[in-house]
Amino acid sequence: MMLSRAARPAALRVSGAAATRSVAQNGATFATLREIEDRLKSIRNIEKITNTMKIVASTKLTRAQRAMTESRKYGQTSNQLFDNAETKRLEGEDKKTLIVVASSDKGLCGGIHSGMSKRVRKMLADNSNQDIVVLGEKCKAQLGRSNPKNIVLSFAGVGKDVPTFADAQAIADQISLLPGDYSDVQIIYNKFINAQSYEATPVEAFSEEAITGSPNFATFEFDDEVLANLREYSLANSLFWALAEGHACEQSARRNAMDNASKNAGDMIGRYQILFNRTRQAVITGELVEIITGAAASEE
Amino acid sequence: MAFAWKASGLTYNKYLSVAASVVRRSLKDTQRLAAEKRGVSELRFAKWNNGKQGDNKNVADANAAAAAEASS
Repeated sequence: MMLSRAARPAALRVSGAAATRSVAQNGATFATLREIEDRLKSIRNIEKITNTMKIVASTKLTRAQRAMTESRKYGQTSNQLFDNAETKRLEGEDKKTLIVVASSDKGLCGGIHSGMSKRVRKMLADNSNQDIVVLGEKCKAQLGRSNPKNIVLSFAGVGKDVPTFADAQAIADQISLLPGDYSDVQIIYNKFINAQSYEATPVEAFSEEAITGSPNFATFEFDDEVLANLREYSLANSLFWALAEGHACEQSARRNAMDNASKNAGDMIGRYQILFNRTRQAVITGELVEIITGAAASEE
Repeated sequence: MAFAWKASGLTYNKYLSVAASVVRRSLKDTQRLAAEKRGVSELRFAKWNNGKQGDNKNVADANAAAAAEASS
């Protein structure tokens, strides 16, 4: 959206400047002056809006980052078990993989959603026999266009606020209710590297067979009944982690996008102000020339 | 070891969230308000069939329905 808006005035400016010169003689200059003024005003309003959005995103970012560091502990603690047990994904060709895409409902935050969609499309291009669960409207719209056949579930209402563990649990329950038999679950989320960069990364959640099949499984003592609980719980943990980290990335990306938009608007305001002043000066000079020539003519 | 909640059709996550909400409800008022925000979930979801999106449903309702079905 920002791109199309930025492109339009630039094109208009060129034609506007040409028009100013050609109509300067026949007195229609006031109209173009007014035009430039209107445009300046609207760019100023856009700058105000993007600036406010940036401030809102900055405040939300600190909260999101705190939630992210806390949720990381959840995910890492739960993954420690699988690290110790050396759990690996099953190498069965007959079973499907389930891909969970953790995006959100809101846009205006640069390319983080499309980066994730691209990553998923690449995974589907390698192996099309995979099902997708989409969290959030943005990736749903993008993947719904390219790979509608692979989607089995979609969730809306993600990313309004810092994600809660209740969200993650409800999603995990719905995913475990899915009829398909999946060899493992891959959660794709945006990994927060620093405030400027993020990367679509998969995190694994294992099936029961993969857990029982892991080489160091004997180190732990399990009742067979508990294993299903562990699987559900670790899925919820990983989902929570992915959602919280994705949320932090989104806020930081939105902050950057709005920062850039405000800067661009500032540049445009500067250029338009100069154009406006020049045009006004030209009109005044033209009028002065007319008066002086008129006066000189009547003196004689 | 059989679990009573498992027999009544709850999943482990559901069991946890019920336990968590009980703990939250028994907190003092000041902490409770902050804590109860963490239990709110406004998710909606839709099943997809053959490339078409189905109806949007509330996730909490659907989970309750699934639990009722599993217990009977």
